[in-house]
Amino acid sequence: MSQRRVAITGLGLISPYGGDLPDFFARLLAGESAVHFLRTDDIPRPLTIPFVSSPNFDVDGVLGRPLASTMDRFAQLGTAAAFAAWADAGLTRGQPAENRENWGVAWGTALGGTLAYEKGYRELWQKGRERVSPLSVILGMNNAANAHISIQLGLGGVSMSHTVACASSAIAIGEAFRRVRSGEAPVMLTGGSDAPQAYGVARAWEALRVMATGDETTSPQACRPFSADRNGLVLGEGGAALVLEDWDHALARGATILAEMVGYGTSCDHSHLVRPEATGQERALNAALADGGLCIADVDYVNAHGTATAEGDPVEVAALKLVFGEQAGRLAVSATKSMHGHLLGAAGAIEAIVTVMALREQSIPPTAHLQEIEPACLGVDHVTSARRDVPVRAALSNSFAFGGSNAVLAFRAVAR
Amino acid sequence: MESLGLIREFLQDRLGVAPDLVVSDAQLDTLGVDSLMMLELMFEFEDRFGITLSKDLKSPQTVGEMVALMDQLRSEQS
Repeated sequence: MSQRRVAITGLGLISPYGGDLPDFFARLLAGESAVHFLRTDDIPRPLTIPFVSSPNFDVDGVLGRPLASTMDRFAQLGTAAAFAAWADAGLTRGQPAENRENWGVAWGTALGGTLAYEKGYRELWQKGRERVSPLSVILGMNNAANAHISIQLGLGGVSMSHTVACASSAIAIGEAFRRVRSGEAPVMLTGGSDAPQAYGVARAWEALRVMATGDETTSPQACRPFSADRNGLVLGEGGAALVLEDWDHALARGATILAEMVGYGTSCDHSHLVRPEATGQERALNAALADGGLCIADVDYVNAHGTATAEGDPVEVAALKLVFGEQAGRLAVSATKSMHGHLLGAAGAIEAIVTVMALREQSIPPTAHLQEIEPACLGVDHVTSARRDVPVRAALSNSFAFGGSNAVLAFRAVAR
Repeated sequence: MESLGLIREFLQDRLGVAPDLVVSDAQLDTLGVDSLMMLELMFEFEDRFGITLSKDLKSPQTVGEMVALMDQLRSEQS
């Protein structure tokens, strides 16, 4: 079967700013941070961390109380984001006119229903109860989000979840891309969601000593990728979804094509669980370029993984320099985690959306709070402090996970 | 709390069902109680009333049947 072109026809997310997709991207372009200070009521030691939430997310309004009752937070965020992407693509829910038995879902989540499990632990060990809610399994299972999405949208093809730490949804998008490109599925709903505010999860991340610190005043500026004074990542909850569609299928139904997805590259550092390797990332970058038929001169923007950790940022820049060589200096790079935080299993998806929007709007959002670039992060063209309105023909989105799993997605702009 | 009150509270909280719709002859599945939600409802009864439901208990079809069953079990196990 000949390879199909893959159109992106729908984008949807639960915005950390509380508004819609255009509002989300406008705020990123303006360099506005969604990070706030979170203080929980946990006893004896509350969480006191910079965090990114989903304000104004009306769970019952979007999903309805009965459906929402059968979901953990990550599945609620994911399903709502999927609904938004579906509507953006001009597709209908329920009783579709066409057969959707080979349309599928590929979803990313690093944590799954952690809040449900944690609730169970509290019941058992804190309250001394002997048992937990009968819904615990279906709330907690990692494939809950994609299962709900398939059921709600009536999609009879593959429904799969990918758990690859911070690369979960980038891998999900890549695998969805392959299904469409091969002709196996004319439409794939893909993306990711996570809700890492479970007490034990947040404490575990703290123990790794990679979390940024901050208070009521400083939290909005807590995440400073590539900056000389960076001090770690900021976790956030969220959900983000894309509709990938066979190009001809999209044209035939008169859909708006937002961008073209052209390539997907993966690799494993095969060296260390948490210390990244530039050569491993280089392989994923080269694989995505080759897969997409792109040369380095075609790429105008990279949405970096850029978590603002001491280890990660210099290695990512080193990998970009290995791939782009003498052209690295003209390569626009930004890390939007500085504003929307690190959404773990949703990170690859929300950053894919940012990348598609940059191609769509021909405008690149900055790395916020980047005043003085860490010397080890020099060598690429960092987009700092303000949006950059320049031609963006092709762009990459990087996701580099603990475990050494790397995924790079490649997109091309389409004429509006 | 009476059994009917518990069912009304549960259905309002979990499924957004108005209490005045939860009447004796109302079908539980019509109110949105599927097999999973039935498990959760029975769990709630066990929890709140301190009763034990056997695993092979036949699921009631209506609100009235549920109330009668729960009242009977409460009486037997009190």
